Amino acid sequence: MTETPIPIGDYGLIGDTRAAALVSPSGSIDWCCLPRFDSPPVFGRLVGGDEAGSFAVGPAQPAALRTRRYLEETASLETTWSVEGGELSLVDSMIGEVSGRLLPATVLVRRLTSRGRPVRVAAWIAPRFGYGRTRPSRVGHRSGALVVEHRDLAMAVATNGSVALEVDRSIEFEVAPERPMTVVVSASHRAPLVLVPPEVALAEAERDEHGWRRWAEGLVAAPGHREVVVRSLITLQLLTYSPSGAPVAAPTTSLPEHIGGSRNWDYRYAWPRDASIGIAAFLGAGKEREAKAFLAWLLHASRLARPRLPALFTLDGRPGPRERDLAGWPGYAGSRPVRAGNGASDQHQLDGYGWVLDAAWLLTDAGHRLDGETWRAMRGFADRVASTWHLRDAGIWERRDEPRHHVHSKLMAWLALDRAALIAAHRGGRAARCAPRWLAARDRLADDLSRNGYDEGVGAYTAAYGAHDFDAAVLLLPVIGIEPRGSTRAAGTVDLIRARLGAGGPLLYRYLGDDGLPGREGAFLPCSFWLVQALAHLGRRDEANELFDELLALAGPLGLYAEEMDPVTHQHLGNFPQALTHAALLQAALALDGTVDRLETAQEEKAS
Amino acid sequence: MDWGGWAVFGLVATTLLTAVLMLVQLLGRTRLDLPLMLGTILVVDPDRARVAGFAMHLAVGQVFAGFYAAGFASVGQAGWWRGAVFGLAHAVVALTVLVPLLPGLHPRMASERAGPDSTASLEPPGLLASNYGVATPLVTIVAHLGYGAVLGLALHPT
Repeated sequence: MTETPIPIGDYGLIGDTRAAALVSPSGSIDWCCLPRFDSPPVFGRLVGGDEAGSFAVGPAQPAALRTRRYLEETASLETTWSVEGGELSLVDSMIGEVSGRLLPATVLVRRLTSRGRPVRVAAWIAPRFGYGRTRPSRVGHRSGALVVEHRDLAMAVATNGSVALEVDRSIEFEVAPERPMTVVVSASHRAPLVLVPPEVALAEAERDEHGWRRWAEGLVAAPGHREVVVRSLITLQLLTYSPSGAPVAAPTTSLPEHIGGSRNWDYRYAWPRDASIGIAAFLGAGKEREAKAFLAWLLHASRLARPRLPALFTLDGRPGPRERDLAGWPGYAGSRPVRAGNGASDQHQLDGYGWVLDAAWLLTDAGHRLDGETWRAMRGFADRVASTWHLRDAGIWERRDEPRHHVHSKLMAWLALDRAALIAAHRGGRAARCAPRWLAARDRLADDLSRNGYDEGVGAYTAAYGAHDFDAAVLLLPVIGIEPRGSTRAAGTVDLIRARLGAGGPLLYRYLGDDGLPGREGAFLPCSFWLVQALAHLGRRDEANELFDELLALAGPLGLYAEEMDPVTHQHLGNFPQALTHAALLQAALALDGTVDRLETAQEEKAS
Repeated sequence: MDWGGWAVFGLVATTLLTAVLMLVQLLGRTRLDLPLMLGTILVVDPDRARVAGFAMHLAVGQVFAGFYAAGFASVGQAGWWRGAVFGLAHAVVALTVLVPLLPGLHPRMASERAGPDSTASLEPPGLLASNYGVATPLVTIVAHLGYGAVLGLALHPT
């Protein structure tokens, strides 16, 4: 790792919905786990140092970065450099749809084109295997391709010229305007390696791009913010593991929440909360199939633990693996430890039920009948909330200090009971008999929250019962409907949270004070988008629009967001890109677009 | 071959096997739901699929019971432990050969190669069906030992 690492926000994401890669502005793939998001990295330089491998392709001569962009409404990333007398473009993509064709599960395509004059290109490929960053056990050239093997993973690297790449050795070649070069990496796991000819890979990449454009055509939401909405939805889709439908929180592990700090977590797992927010986001954008798929995943994954809802799952729906530190991994900019696995999997988090039942209600309200199994699961969740809402929990932020009566958790428990009652009433018949007990529990909870969570002295809800600190997650107060429209309590809470947790400009810390962990962290980006949503719900649209525009200006060069941001340097911090941030962005855009207003008005009309 | 025993105890053994799997599923040890997996080949709704899938499983179980009966007849002996040995072989074949074939046959089951256009909703079973819970291989083996033992006890070897 160099002294000054590439800023996290400068990386570009490519993916195939089974795995993903991060590409630097210099054309280096510094992060790619194969065969799936949660596998050890084959290219792990991002947090594992040079020993963890990378795959760089770029100009071999002095060059200046000219542009980086996604090809319009696709997942293909184009990087263009200016060189003396010409330019070189690199388009990176991974093939999402391999079903029905003789293709391996992973096909990474790197297309090089020069304009103006031939350009010398340097390529460096250094794959590593396992968390031990082991070199390949077998390397050779077969059928014109470089073949690399280690245990159950095999990779082939082919080009459409006479260029043969070598492992751990820089190879230079020339790309002429009339002779574009395609470099294809194909990888197979526990299966025969399929050598993909570059011309086939090229056609597949173009077909994939067409598929993404066709997918984006169907989006109906937020015409005023179409570009950011499409980028966020494509990012969320790229972070969804297609074989199971699990939404991955982020494709990386241990990108730090503070440079040099130890708050480095593995986010390559699926949180029910993210799936539920994704349901709302996709439903709002007119993507009903994707929304229903998230609910199907939630049902499948939670089957073994029901009615308890674990904080997180693996991509297969298993409990999150034990957290461990990777010995010898230097971390991003020296931020250690680098972790694999996540310790939050054992926590009791009450808020998850609220997200899930709200998502189920959104689907019901949109006209989708919940089947019997789904209804039974939702009923179990609601009963569980009705019997446990009075307990302390770890809260949405997975704090590792003592459990508290988090106000946000109570809000989400209220949401769970309220939405469960709405679903029950909507289903009618025997289901409707459940509604009174949930409404009674909901009202007891509201009374308890009002008495213990609201601080009359400051005129706002605090972070926890009897506490004097604040929690930016409580910004969702005006959104869920526990307070009536025009509530001074809701407005006062939003204003005070913004004042107390403000980190400059549109940024907010999620909380301040000791949370049981060493070190500090940056401003938490989803909270800023929740603030936009809250202001929109409070009717303060001009303020919300202004804030939203400021937040859009803080996106990475490719429109991507991490989990956090340094309030001073505006560097993105934490795992990248972050599904929760993009889902919160989408919800803010929908709130500003008026979609939410229309849904709420329709809901109120139904209720009356 | 004991056709009468096959007709009656094939159904009994398959029902027992299904009951064991469903019981363990209800206890939260596995997500493997054979009636659902089979039934969703025909219908989408999980509740209706289970009914259809149970009937399909009974039919499949009856076919396998025929193999057991033929096996007992060919070796000229039956008994619970011989049946259990057949059951063990059956479970191993099911986990290593039959279950991995499912994503290729089932219209609503994703494969490990599924992409963003996939409309499949059932997760692929993975290695030894362990995507449905790490206890799934063991549960499958135990259920098939029971299936084989019942047939071994009930069927005549001639």
